Formats: sequence, structure tokens, C-alpha cells
Amino acid sequence: MSEAPRTFRFVSSDRRVREDRRFVVGKGRFAADIAVPGLRHVALVTCPYPAARIVGIDKTAALAMPGVHYVLDGRELAAATLPLAAGLDTPHVPRRPLAVDIARYAGEWVVAVVADTRALAEDAAERVKISYERLPFVLDAEDALKSDAPLVHAGHGSNVLLDRTFVWGEVERDFAESPRHLSLRVKWGRSSTVPIETFAVAASWDPWREMLDVWASIQMPKYPDQTATALKLPASSVRVHYDVDVGGSYGVKRGIKHTVLVGYLTKRLGFPVRLIEDRLENMRGGDAHGPERLFDVDVAFDDTGVIRSMRMRALDNVGAYAGRSPFQLGKPVGAIVGPYRIRSVQYRAIAVTSNKTVQEAVRAFGQSPTNYAIERIIEEVANSLGLDRLEARRRNLIRKEEFPYLIPSGSTYDSGDYHTVIDKVLAHADYGALVAERDRLRAGGMLAGIGLATCLEPSGGNSSFEPLLNPKNTTTTWMDSCRISVDATGAITATMHTASAGQGHETLVGTVVGETLELDPERIRVVRPDSLSALPSNSPVGSRMAVMLGGAAFHAARKLREKLVAIASHDLGVPLERAHYREGGVFDRDAPERRLGWMDLVTVAHRNFHKLPPDMEPGLSVSHVMQVPTGGALPTADGRVQMYPCFSFEFHLILMAIDPELGKPEIRRYVVGHDCGTVINPKIVHGMTMGGIAHGIGAALYEEFAYDDEGQLLAQSFMDYLLPSSHEVPPVEIVHHVTPSPHTVFGQKGSGESGYLGAPAAIASAINDALKPLGISVNTLPIKVSLLGDMIAAAREKIGEPQGVE
Amino acid sequence: MKLDIGGEETFPMAAEPLWTALNDPAVLKKCIPGCQDMIAVGDDRYKLILALRVASVGGTFEGEIVLSDKIAPARCRVSVTGSGTLGHGEGSATFSLASDANGAAIMRYAGEGEIGGLVAGVGQRVLKGVAKHLVGQFFKAFRREVTGVV
Repeated sequence: MSEAPRTFRFVSSDRRVREDRRFVVGKGRFAADIAVPGLRHVALVTCPYPAARIVGIDKTAALAMPGVHYVLDGRELAAATLPLAAGLDTPHVPRRPLAVDIARYAGEWVVAVVADTRALAEDAAERVKISYERLPFVLDAEDALKSDAPLVHAGHGSNVLLDRTFVWGEVERDFAESPRHLSLRVKWGRSSTVPIETFAVAASWDPWREMLDVWASIQMPKYPDQTATALKLPASSVRVHYDVDVGGSYGVKRGIKHTVLVGYLTKRLGFPVRLIEDRLENMRGGDAHGPERLFDVDVAFDDTGVIRSMRMRALDNVGAYAGRSPFQLGKPVGAIVGPYRIRSVQYRAIAVTSNKTVQEAVRAFGQSPTNYAIERIIEEVANSLGLDRLEARRRNLIRKEEFPYLIPSGSTYDSGDYHTVIDKVLAHADYGALVAERDRLRAGGMLAGIGLATCLEPSGGNSSFEPLLNPKNTTTTWMDSCRISVDATGAITATMHTASAGQGHETLVGTVVGETLELDPERIRVVRPDSLSALPSNSPVGSRMAVMLGGAAFHAARKLREKLVAIASHDLGVPLERAHYREGGVFDRDAPERRLGWMDLVTVAHRNFHKLPPDMEPGLSVSHVMQVPTGGALPTADGRVQMYPCFSFEFHLILMAIDPELGKPEIRRYVVGHDCGTVINPKIVHGMTMGGIAHGIGAALYEEFAYDDEGQLLAQSFMDYLLPSSHEVPPVEIVHHVTPSPHTVFGQKGSGESGYLGAPAAIASAINDALKPLGISVNTLPIKVSLLGDMIAAAREKIGEPQGVE
Repeated sequence: MKLDIGGEETFPMAAEPLWTALNDPAVLKKCIPGCQDMIAVGDDRYKLILALRVASVGGTFEGEIVLSDKIAPARCRVSVTGSGTLGHGEGSATFSLASDANGAAIMRYAGEGEIGGLVAGVGQRVLKGVAKHLVGQFFKAFRREVTGVV
């Protein structure tokens, strides 16, 4: 770490992650572990066709089975509930848990069966007879744009959910004045995060208390509100228990449709109901696929490779319904030029519906595909000039002295030192030796390439894409909160108000409160009250919790310190400015022996009202609701807005070898330089980065929710949806650098999506470098072995190179 | 996904008894792999219940078989539609019978089908092989039925 401007007691020290103990010993408490007496179970009947009218539903045989309690169809559910919340203003694209009259993708839920056990519910689901009339369907995003395309939602009038063009700066002029132009089409395939734990929710309605209790595997902002609204309940009648461990998410654990379904069933039937998706339900109908995006990128640049302007068209295939996913075209507006000094941008964002499974938020919320597109074009700029790819980046990267740096789309990057991070990584990896190794591999008959990517991770999760893409949405806060209470025995309890999916938030809060109170973080109990006891919060999305929950915990702890100082000042009879806080006690700066210790202060606060300053509340409980730094303003009319407050940076350097006969890529070396400002817990950041790179390797090489021409999802299990294993994920060397953010209390930035922001781009870069001697390139992800092998064989045949064993 | 099937089988017998067997639901019920029931619901129209396992999934399939374009004892068209927990399928095939110079019957069949839903998604990598295997199983059983030879 080159420049840590402040020293900390606990922040940045390599302390244990307190959550790890319970997970390592197998004592996590997940939604499936919640024992609710009298629980009944749900299985689903899904539509086998990509588009079909539901002609008839015969429930008789299923209902006749002993132990089967109910068979629910979409019409009954729709009559009793409101459609699920949509992000965009698309009232004629209603989305409901069960299809009503028309099913719009293969795997869409049509009927829910409730029985004594899940196995029985599955057996009964087989007995539900549904007759369908097949309807025309559309799968491809460009086909969906055509005027004669089948409409996924006839009432909406087209398949276009969103089509906005933004122009920031003098794009026309910059293109006209630039001597060189280049166009590229790249495609990001449909993949996702696929947690081991599928979505799980249990709900129990108590009619006498008018209370719906919910335990779920969630990572969803506004989850209690949206559940209550759809069920037509006051939100004060929905109690979401956040003290449930989540077995992986990275965006996809949204589950509103699941929750509205079981919420209705428990109210209707009078007993608790649980739904745990099996793998097939999760992958086909869990509505958890990620972006599927086609980019057309044009750049204008000069003879030295300096890019002046960019036009980007991003066409995203969001699937059959509009959830929150179209916003994934909005977040990248906040880093639309990546780490580069591109002075004008035209951005056209198009989201279309199709007869595929619904998209949901996935790690980086659309930024990783955009980073991939930007990185591909900068490499093509270098190639077109015969310029070194690293040098092309260096010439375009924003320089350290230029921060804070305002990009054309209205976000100001907080801080960074990109050139230094690159230099540190090159020195660590011995770049010259790495290039020599690539050349040695090539000389030995292998295809080999160096992969490079310089990418940003916008962090601190604001939701400015909401008002940007939906003018009816005027949200300008995306707060998070912490409450700290010290009880009469002196014990400290801090709260957080969302669930966690393995991001170590309890460790974060404990460390920050301990740091601020100068007390051992192990003394800080961290709990998660239910939603009715909670302060306003928005859940761990958008790499925001180090900034937002860390910030809220800091400010709450500082309020507690101020209260303790005020009590001591009054009690000791010293002016406030002389009362000095240290490690839980307060003393007179001029006479340090005049001192009140922790328990003295606690006792005054809890028992001695007569010793408290006038008008002070007794007890020791403080809270802070934190606004996102730099947030608070609506977008301008031309769509400029500060999207996120902080911008982490990562530089990936890879050596890849590809066997030309097999087409099988093998990562020989993986080094990443990472700058997320001040690191609060090194173990957590390390884990995030490693996991993000593994995820990026999957998205780049293996994972795809592929469909056949008849609209059938071909990857419904881990036999066909290939996850990288320990065989495919190499050891990763992480080189740290710290450029503190000026917007946060410790200088921290987000790291929740680190690694994933640049790994796919870096792998594509390595493969394209390896393919360069063959005169071919690949502009689509994932780059599967089969595709690569065929491309290499065709290219070698074309240039007359001998292949295989004769 | 689309599936093509086609092939040729030779039987050491005349075409007529083959034709009769092919039109006998009791014979077909014994020979169609996984067939649990085959019930006549009209002229040349049968309800069919199958239980099958493909890749990691298993379940039932309920469908209808319709025989058409019949020219006894030479040609017949068989159409199948149905759905179940495994997914849905539809297809049709044409069977033709002819005798060769030695008096043996040659049955030629060709058809195409579309399979969707669970089985297409989970089993697509193995589906072509499974289809070939099922057709093979059918003819093995059918041969035993009409010739008495295993």
C-alpha cells in the first residue's frame, strides 16, 4: 500500500471475518433451516412452450391426492393481488407470480400446488392437466425490434421497453474532426450468478395479529414494501426477518414473485407455506438470468490512438417481463467512458422483451458487459494503429492529477492512480518475462496471448438510474442505516437492516464501530432486527456496503462518542472542548486524572438522570440514516447525473495458452492490481476479488443460458450450465494499491463486485492476442471451447497450416 | 429441439402379419418403451401413457397417437402429440412395408419431431442418442413379438 494517509487501529488490519466461524462449522441459519410448525410446501407447474395461451386447467386429479391442500392458478392470484413492481413506466407489461391466461416463456410458472411435503407437491404437480394453444414467439433481441415481430405483451404495443438516446458533449463535431474511426459489434451472452442455495422463502400469516412473517433468502431493496404492496397489505403487516443467512446471491436473490405467491397462499390457507426452488425451477423460472447484450460501438480517435468520442448502442434482451433489469442499462452511464478520457459520448440504451426467462440484477448491474465492450474497442484502436495495447491504454487513461474527473455523462470520478497500479502490476509480474514466455509458447506451436483489462467498479450504490430511465421516478436517496445501543451493563449492540449474502457485513460494522469508539471490535455485537424494527435501508447492492453501512456505522458511533463526551463534560464540570474521548472513557485534557470510565458513563446515562445534561435523553442509543455521498440530485434534462460516488479500479494481466488442436484455453498466470481505496477488512476484499474473477472466468468461457430455436432453455442444470471449477480457476496474485476516496470516512471504496468487472474483458483480450497470428478475433462471450476450436481450425485451414495428426 | 429419425428393418416374413401387428394396440403396448397404457379412443386414435427417464429427469408423458393415410398393407402415417412432466413432444413418421426378392418384409420409416420443455433442456446433449436407443428398443421388442425370436 503506497499511501495510507491515516493509520487505523482495526480498519485495514488482517482480522478474522466473524461470520466465517458459523459457516465453517456448518451452523449458518438459512431459510431452509427455519422451522415453522405446520409448514406446508409448494411445487410449481410450468409452461413447456415459449409462448402459449392457457386454454384449460384441470386440477381434479391433483386435488384428489391425500395430503394435497390446494392448487392455485394465475387468475385467482391475480384477482387478489396487484402486479409486481416494475422499474420502468410500463403499465401494460404486468408481471405476476403465476401466468394469467398467457405464458410468455418456457418455464414460466402457471400453477402452484400446496401439499404436506415437497415430494408430494411435485407428484401432484404432475397430475395437473393444463391445455395450451401455442402462440408465435420471439427469442432474439434484434428480431424483437422488427415491426412484424410477435409481441410478447400485445397490450404494450411493441417489444421495446426502453429506447433512450443520450448525447453528452460534441459527439458530431468530435467524430468529424477525428482522422480515424472504427466500429465494432460485440456480444455479451446470457449468464448469471447461480448460487448453490436456490431461492427459498417461508411465510406465515397470523390472522389474529394481522401479521405476515417472512423468512427468505433475499438480497432485494424495498423487499418488504414491494411484497406488501402486491399483497395489498400495509407494510406494517409484513415482518421480514433479516436474521437469515443467504447462501449466495450476487444480485439474483430478489424473490418478490416467490414471496407474493407464498404470502397469498398462507393467507388463503391459514397455515405456513414454504417454497424452495429446485435447480430446474431456479434456472428456468427463477427469473434470475443476467444481461444478454449486443453492443455496437463506434469510436473517433487520432493518429496517436487518443480516443475523442464514442457512440455506443446497447441492446439488451431482458426476457419476458420488465422487472428491475432494464436499469442495468442505466448504471453504466455512471462509468460510460471507463477509466478513459473520452470527451464526448452518444449512448443509446434499448431494452426489449422476448420469450426468454426474465432477467434480474447480476453482480455489477450491467457494468461488466459495458466494460467488456469498451476494452474490446480500445484494443481494436491499438491494433488498427499497430500500437501496443498497453500503450494505447496509457495514452487514454485519466491521470492521477486530473481527479476529481468529470466524465461527459455527469459523474465525477472521486480519485484514482491508474498508471501507478499498472506499473506495480507489471513490476510484480515481470511483464517482460511474461511476454517472453508468451513468445516461447508460440514458438513451441501453442497459441498464446497476454490479456489486459483496465476497468472501473462504480461503488457506493446509488439508484440514480431510476429517475434517469423512468421520469416518473423521483428517487434521490438510497440510504442505509445503523443504530448503536449500549445497555445498562455496558455491552454494545449495533444493528444493520438488511440480510447478508456472505459479504461479511457483521465484520464491517464491528470493525467500524470498534475503530470509532476505540474499543475492541469483538466487543461489538451486530444484529439484524426485522423489517418492522428496522431503520431505512436498501440492502447490499451496487458495491455499497463498505461505503454506506460502513458510513452509517461510523456516524452512529461518532454520535455515541459525542453523547458520552457531553455527559462527561457536564458531570466533570469541564468545557466540551476540553473533554477528550479515549478508548471508552472521557477525561479533562488539562487534567487527565479527572476522568469518567466506560461504566461510569453508562451508569449515568442509564440510571442517573439527575447527572445528565439538561434536555438529554436518558439511555445510550443513537442511530444514523446515511445519504449516499454525492447523491441527492435528479438527472439533468439531457441525462447527466452523478450515478455512484466512488470508483474502484482494477488492472488485470493474464497469460493464456491455447492448444491449437483442442481449442482449450488455459490460464497460465493471473495477476490483478486492485485499488478500492482504504481496505476495511483485507480478508473480505481478497475473497470478493477472487470470487469475482472466478465468476468472470465463467462468464467469459463457460456459462451461458443458451436457447434452441424452439425457445427451449438448453442449460437447466449444472450438466449444461458449466461453472468454472478449481481446474479452471488458476491461482490469482493480487497487487494492492490504495487511493483513498475523499467522499468516505476512512477513504474506502466498494469492492463487492471486484474482479468480475474486468476478468471477462481480460480473458477476451488474452484470447484475441493468442488468435492474432491466425488473423482472426472473437467478439462474443462466452468463448466456448467448441467455438474456439472451430474458429482456430477454420483459420488454420485457410492459411494452409497443417492440422492435427495426418 | 428438432429430432429426425429414420431407418430400415428387415423381417423374415410376409408384409401382412407385420401390418396386422403394427395395427394392434396390444402389441404396440408391449413394444413401445415405457408404455404404461394404450387405449383406443376412436378409429385409429389411441391415448398413450409413457413413463420415461432421460438424463437426470424422469416422469410421465401422456399423448395421443393417430394413424392416417393408411394403405394396407403398404403404408401408414403415425402422428404423436403429447405432454407431461418431462415436457412436450410432437412428431410424425411414415412407415412403408415392401417385400424383397427373398420374400422378406422390409420396413422403412422416416419422420421428424419436436421436443420441448424439461427433457429438451436437461437432456438435449443425449436426446438424439436416447431417441435412437428407444427406437432400437421398440424394434427389438417388436421383432420378438412378430417372429418369436429373441
